[in-house]
Amino acid sequence: MTNIVEVKGLKKSYKEFEAVKGVDLTIEEGEIFGFLGPNGAGKSTTINMMSTIIRPSSGTAMINGYDVVKQKNDVRASIGLIFQEQTLDVKLTANENLMLHCKFYGIDKNKREERIQEVLEIVDLTDKRSNIVETFSGGMKRRLEIARGLLHYPKVLFLDEPTVGLDPQTRNHIWEYILKLKEKAGITIFLTTHYMDEAEICDRVAVMDHGELIALDTPEALKNNVGGDIIEISTEDNIEAKKRIEKIYETDVTESDNKTLTFQVSKGSEFLVNFVKEFDIPITSVNLRRPTLNDVFLHLTGREIRDETLSKKDLAKQQMRGRH
Amino acid sequence: MEGIMAIWQRDVIKFFRDRARLVGSFAMPFMFLILFGSGMSGAMSSMMGGSEASGPLADFDFVEFMFPGIIGMTVFTTAIFSALSVVQDKEFGYMREILVSPMSRVSIAIGKVLGGSTVALFQGLMMLIFVPFIGISISFSMILQLIPVMFLVAFALSSIGLLIATSLKTSQGFQMVVQVLIFPMLFLSGALFPLSGMPAWMNFIVKINPLTYSVDMFKKIILQPEQMAPALREAMGLNLSVFNHVITLPEEILVVGLLSVFFVILATIRFSRIEA
Repeated sequence: MTNIVEVKGLKKSYKEFEAVKGVDLTIEEGEIFGFLGPNGAGKSTTINMMSTIIRPSSGTAMINGYDVVKQKNDVRASIGLIFQEQTLDVKLTANENLMLHCKFYGIDKNKREERIQEVLEIVDLTDKRSNIVETFSGGMKRRLEIARGLLHYPKVLFLDEPTVGLDPQTRNHIWEYILKLKEKAGITIFLTTHYMDEAEICDRVAVMDHGELIALDTPEALKNNVGGDIIEISTEDNIEAKKRIEKIYETDVTESDNKTLTFQVSKGSEFLVNFVKEFDIPITSVNLRRPTLNDVFLHLTGREIRDETLSKKDLAKQQMRGRH
Repeated sequence: MEGIMAIWQRDVIKFFRDRARLVGSFAMPFMFLILFGSGMSGAMSSMMGGSEASGPLADFDFVEFMFPGIIGMTVFTTAIFSALSVVQDKEFGYMREILVSPMSRVSIAIGKVLGGSTVALFQGLMMLIFVPFIGISISFSMILQLIPVMFLVAFALSSIGLLIATSLKTSQGFQMVVQVLIFPMLFLSGALFPLSGMPAWMNFIVKINPLTYSVDMFKKIILQPEQMAPALREAMGLNLSVFNHVITLPEEILVVGLLSVFFVILATIRFSRIEA
């Protein structure tokens, strides 16, 4: 297998602030690679550097064998980009949007028709071809953007938060399309997300926090690293319960929403039986589950991804999308 | 090359699709020409010597005088405001789609300027619909002369628009800046009233205003001043001169042409520097 993406020591600083503090990664052809982390972790900055949009402060990134600084146009021709915010011309029809893209990327005149039909089929928009994009729903616009990103047969498709601002049902659909893409076109997909469940479909996941990669592995391996099962309980006196559990079972307990205590144990079901019997603070609820990527993040950083509040910029972006 | 055409095509498609804008584009010229022009024409002719004026000045017709200026105004404003689409593309995200494509920035900038110029040319030509109502006659050969001249003027103004648009982030900001810029230039171009008997400082601004030469080109083609009595020509301010040299149409084409080249290069350089 060849490495389609090779990133070495990629950094970006804005004056004093280091947004990305040196990222190293390689991605094989045909992989779905997930980039996971809270808002403001530096995911978008990294993706922007890899896709020639912003210039790295130092380090190198090679996409399809081209350098993102020295061979910008070759890189641009090899990648498809789907941004966080919507980038369609809503006053034009779906067909016009796609046709313009063909022209921007210099796709052969007699291949255009065939390609447009092909990508519209992938995202199930064939019958909407001559409709003005303004009349599309959020999910349809997203699908059209994915179709557009595929028109020039990119080697790598970058998806920056592809499902932000979409309802759960539409999100599922988008993921179906992305998986279908991998099977059909065999292209490499690089995506960022802060939804943990979405990262589960990736072949490998890199976890980013405060501008650094803190883990990089398959979702399975990452979850195994967490160690055992997750117990979630709530009690009548959480503060006291937390202290006791930490003392008796020598494990870290985190509290979320002031209601639930979460901790890990190696053999969950056996542990639980004894725990409920022995523990002397009244328990109001108890839950045992396998670790998720959210626990991975928690384990690595001591914080939960969903705790992060949206930054002002992200809020503005979501509002922008809502307007279309 | 194909990239330039694609960018151009997008602007032209959108112009013809936007019916409201097409109809609305007649509103301003109509108001100026019919309401302002007709209203002022009485006052203007009395200033020229009253209704009893005899001789060549009796032929002075303000609406007729204004017509080339109104064409000019339409072309200027359409062309310079066409760059609003660049700011809107930045606001609504489409600019990123353009900027991450393998097209060169130069093609994008040229495509945008050509798109704006084409739209402004169409708008300018549409103003000829008013011809029958204001009692002047326009020949086919005049239209053939007008087309390249309008396009040249539109090209210069679109380039200025693009130059402004590349430095601004919001459409409100762009509209503000352009309005502050275009109105004084328009008033001091001879588009709306004859440029005669002005104070020296104002005269100076008139002479360095590129729109003055642009409007004068339209006047030379439409009003045919060489067929007028000298006194009337003087009253209508058609003897535009610099250092006592009455400037000719080819000279004006050269001036506006050079300005176009200057601004399009400047705008392209600036545009090439923006990040997606």
